[in-house]
Amino acid sequence: MRLNLVLELMDVPGQLVKVLEPIGSLGANLVTVIHKRDYKTENGKVPVQLTLEGELEDLKNVVKRFEEMGFTITQMDDVILKEKISTIFFGHIIDNDLRDTMDRINDLDGVSIVGCEIKLDGEDRSTALLNIEADIGLKQFIFDKIEEIAEEKDILVINEV
Amino acid sequence: MDECKIIIMGFGSVGQGVANAISMKKDLIKDKTGVAVKVVAAADSSSSAISQEGLDEELLVQTKKESGKLSEYPEFGSDKNGEDVLDAVEYDCLIEATPTNIVDAEPAFSLTLKAFEQGKDVVTSNKGHLALKFKEVVNAAEEAGVEFRYEASVGGAMPIINLAKETISSCDIKSVKGILNGTTNYILSRMTAEGSDYEVILKESQELGIAETDPTQDVEGIDAACKTVILANSLLGIDATYSDVKVTGISKINSQAIELAKKDDYLIKLIAEVSKDNLQVSPRLVKRGSSYDVSGTLNMATIKTDLADEVSVIGLGAGSLETASAMLTDLISILKNKN
Repeated sequence: MRLNLVLELMDVPGQLVKVLEPIGSLGANLVTVIHKRDYKTENGKVPVQLTLEGELEDLKNVVKRFEEMGFTITQMDDVILKEKISTIFFGHIIDNDLRDTMDRINDLDGVSIVGCEIKLDGEDRSTALLNIEADIGLKQFIFDKIEEIAEEKDILVINEV
Repeated sequence: MDECKIIIMGFGSVGQGVANAISMKKDLIKDKTGVAVKVVAAADSSSSAISQEGLDEELLVQTKKESGKLSEYPEFGSDKNGEDVLDAVEYDCLIEATPTNIVDAEPAFSLTLKAFEQGKDVVTSNKGHLALKFKEVVNAAEEAGVEFRYEASVGGAMPIINLAKETISSCDIKSVKGILNGTTNYILSRMTAEGSDYEVILKESQELGIAETDPTQDVEGIDAACKTVILANSLLGIDATYSDVKVTGISKINSQAIELAKKDDYLIKLIAEVSKDNLQVSPRLVKRGSSYDVSGTLNMATIKTDLADEVSVIGLGAGSLETASAMLTDLISILKNKN
């Protein structure tokens, strides 16, 4: 079977070779590789398009290895995958109904919170790091929503640039 | 034009820097433009030194440092100050380096308008009048048919306004994002490196002279917001004033937020964002190793353009000679345009 992938690579020498290495060694075959270094994504990375051929099990292993190696897979078989977004909250996060805050973010279409780490200061204010996964292209929409919620609850929010 | 007579209004760190820089670069300016620069007056908040024959730049700085008042300048010391100085002597260009005033923009606003009325060019490092009344000031310069330059008002030595307007003039500017305040960048950098709390680092910064005794303008993002307004007006043609900027400072950032950001390979920086949809100064997460990852008192800006994509600059955002360098560059541009 065949598998189409789009990966995002850092724009530093040697990345493409690193991507190609596990394909053969895990028993899959490379059919196509399209790599145009001149074209970059919004975050300065270089997308590389791969078509692989092999047994399902082997292809799964290749994808798993790519993820372990820290490559971002943005598309698999033309299905757009998620992008990761981080944001930090500071203030009366818990008193201001953290559950409600998280629900309202989770309720957004194509958006889900995948991680939340909270540091308590021993006092009433706390700091939280939220990891969000979202469909590609929703970033600004999510930031706007988060700021809206934060303003309403008087929470300081630190979004990505 | 073979001689340019200059008045320096405001003789603090920046004004003295200009005097020193002129003293160092007179010959270079003469070589580049064919114009001899002569300081005919310099004024601090209460007094001045005035001589149509020209003053000695180094002696001006020495007098100010030793006695605190320019009126002590040998022979040419005077009690004239403010707008009176502009009437007291024949001049070609006003170098305006009075302190930024974000309440009513004075004395910079009146001084600048008066110089325009007198048909004189103005170079400024001041943010107050630009942040509060950008259009009014720029229109007045146009009506008077004089040059008005303000590179030093944003990013100190870091070129950004002239860079965007002149060097990459083929491009439309879509947005500017950057770190436009050195003091807060220093505080956040140290908090990140040492894991210390905001109050501790702020106090140390004050002792080192990096933060002011009253740090409000810097830490609450007011200074960066003024610069945001200047960039919005001058580079993106947005008719904005100070009150249009959404401002959040860094005083609430604690070491825990920085620690959490680090976990995901982020740093927290006070970022100014200038775009048609967004005028904002706020703490933001930036990726470690990205162009926003500059530490210490450095400033940076990434200009997003239509043709050239992104262009980034980094440089010192403050300092006496550093800020003077931008003002002198503006002066040289004016002189080149004249000849």
